[in-house]
Amino acid sequence: MKKKLYHLLKICGEGLKRFFRPIGSFIGKLWRHPKGRIGLIIVGLLILTAIFAPLIAPYDPYDVTERASKGLSPSWNHLLGTTITTGQDIFSMLIYGTRVSLIVGLVTGISIAFLGAIMGILAGYVGGLADTFIMRTVDIMLVIPTLPLTIVLTNLFGKSYFMIIFIFVLFGWTGLARVIRSLVLVLKNANYVKAAELAGASRWHIMIKHILPGVSHLLIMNTALTCAGIMIAEAGLSFLGLGDPTAISWGKMLADAQSGGALLFGHWWWIIAPGIGIFLSVFSFMRIGLVMEEILNPRMKQSSNIYKIFKTLNNNYLEEVFESMDESVILGDFAEKEEEIA
Amino acid sequence: MQKSYLIKRILYAIFIFFVVMVLNFFIPRIGVDDPAERYYPPQGNMTDVEYDIIKQVTREQYGFDVSNLQQFLNYAKGLFQGDLGTSFRPGNPKVSDLIAERLPWTLVLSVTNLLISLFIGLMIGTIAAWRRGRWQDTLLLNMSTISTALPAFFLALILSFYFGFELELFPAYTNPNMVSGFDWSWEAVKVVMYNAALPIISMSIGGIIGYGQGTRNAVIAVTNEDFILTARAKGLSRNQVIFKHTLRNAMLPIVTSLGMSISGLIGGAVIIEQIFNWNGMGTLFLEANNTNDYPLMMGIMLFMSAFAIVANLVTELCYSLLDPRVTVGEKR
Repeated sequence: MKKKLYHLLKICGEGLKRFFRPIGSFIGKLWRHPKGRIGLIIVGLLILTAIFAPLIAPYDPYDVTERASKGLSPSWNHLLGTTITTGQDIFSMLIYGTRVSLIVGLVTGISIAFLGAIMGILAGYVGGLADTFIMRTVDIMLVIPTLPLTIVLTNLFGKSYFMIIFIFVLFGWTGLARVIRSLVLVLKNANYVKAAELAGASRWHIMIKHILPGVSHLLIMNTALTCAGIMIAEAGLSFLGLGDPTAISWGKMLADAQSGGALLFGHWWWIIAPGIGIFLSVFSFMRIGLVMEEILNPRMKQSSNIYKIFKTLNNNYLEEVFESMDESVILGDFAEKEEEIA
Repeated sequence: MQKSYLIKRILYAIFIFFVVMVLNFFIPRIGVDDPAERYYPPQGNMTDVEYDIIKQVTREQYGFDVSNLQQFLNYAKGLFQGDLGTSFRPGNPKVSDLIAERLPWTLVLSVTNLLISLFIGLMIGTIAAWRRGRWQDTLLLNMSTISTALPAFFLALILSFYFGFELELFPAYTNPNMVSGFDWSWEAVKVVMYNAALPIISMSIGGIIGYGQGTRNAVIAVTNEDFILTARAKGLSRNQVIFKHTLRNAMLPIVTSLGMSISGLIGGAVIIEQIFNWNGMGTLFLEANNTNDYPLMMGIMLFMSAFAIVANLVTELCYSLLDPRVTVGEKR
């Protein structure tokens, strides 16, 4: 029993190593892509801002005692002015808001990737009862209206970002699991998997060491796009007052601006500032996700003239070229291994 | 479409509804032994004796004094008779009556939004695909990147600030009693449309660009098919090919996204409704949440889920009518 567990852990370690190996080469590819570089730079800056928030912010954003400086317009002392109700410095609030947005986005995105991968691979590779059970669960989850349920659950268990992340993960893995499952159904028939099966490898061994690295590209792309989506959703929930009431987040800043009379007194900077924060973070993660999609799926390339000419000249030929390109991308470094086995 | 396929889909939809119903019944009962504690949480100034009496009354009023199974059977029986429960509000109105009162207001927003997004989006998408690689296409691509990254509620705030407070063109906060007794007269429709303008615009900008981008991609995918080349080779003009061959075949992915929008028609505008003080289902839900009105909240949830299930079913059936390749044996 102990030996078996040790063996399983070893397989897990190797599988994860193979899973994370493409990330390095991916970041390189992203950096070389002009659009991807913009995304990477903005994400890097946001992460630095979140880590060093206390050093960058000129004032304490939680300080609500500055009664003398309420509702100031932007000036050199207060770059984005102060709030009308409490006199907090808006620029400092903006910087601290990065933390909530990034933490909720990244934690949820990564957790969804893990849960979606596990469920999708189980459903696709094991099949049978597991497949039926997981896919029926997905169907049910997709029907339940997420926002009302989130409101009910935060009402039941208290308002906190942990709760929000939990609900996002609970409902977010469904779409990913479907995609992964259909990819696994393709990978299942790949020669190297068949070879490993014939060689007597266990199911766990194949799932972790052969299937998981095969879907890693898709997972990384999906994580970037989910992060972007979750950041918007988090802002919406914070706006409705469902986040942690003591933490500063961009959604809550917008809600404060609305209830605090920013619209009425014409303090447009109080609304624009968190909006730009949300826009930049969502935009950068989306950019990374879309560029990854472009790298993974060359067919999506926008208006490439060579593609058009080839297409009209010989349809089938090009179809084959792209089919083979897709496969080599999907199989990644397993192509060599396949040759080895053969 | 085969009959067995139809029956199978309908039975499956009923099964999903049953599961959602069970979940809906148990959610307010998570974490407490006595649902009465959820319905009336203890107040600070209440002695234990008083609270026990209140719990006892609540139990009798809402039928919690029988076993859980019996409660569920009663709940299911009520549902089949169209009874979603009674709200805590003064006068104890029926949940179904409250929903019926608010539903049209939400539908005014979401249906108008859907129609606008669909028609303008289809037009823009076709133009972009037709002028592929030119400035129209690039503009749509850049707009879609921007509009996806901007949340609709932020757009709503900006619009309500600029058009509501600065220019005073449209009301930034709508009056819940804008018309007393809607009678389809031109005057009443005009008042409602005047009030609904800003919410609808802020919702539909994202929708228009989303549908535009979807249409563009679908049209371009079809343009690359062999039969389009054949049609062109036959000597048909470019316009004939686009409107007669391409658009018809590009409908499938658009129907799928249309189905998704339809299932979100009721619950999709909670934040927008809250910003503009619009008297719809979203604000009803938030009001229920603020007053711990569980029968009302769970009633609305069940109604929304049922609506989504029916919308999914109809989309799937439409899909199989449009695309004969979807057959009984096929697994998704």
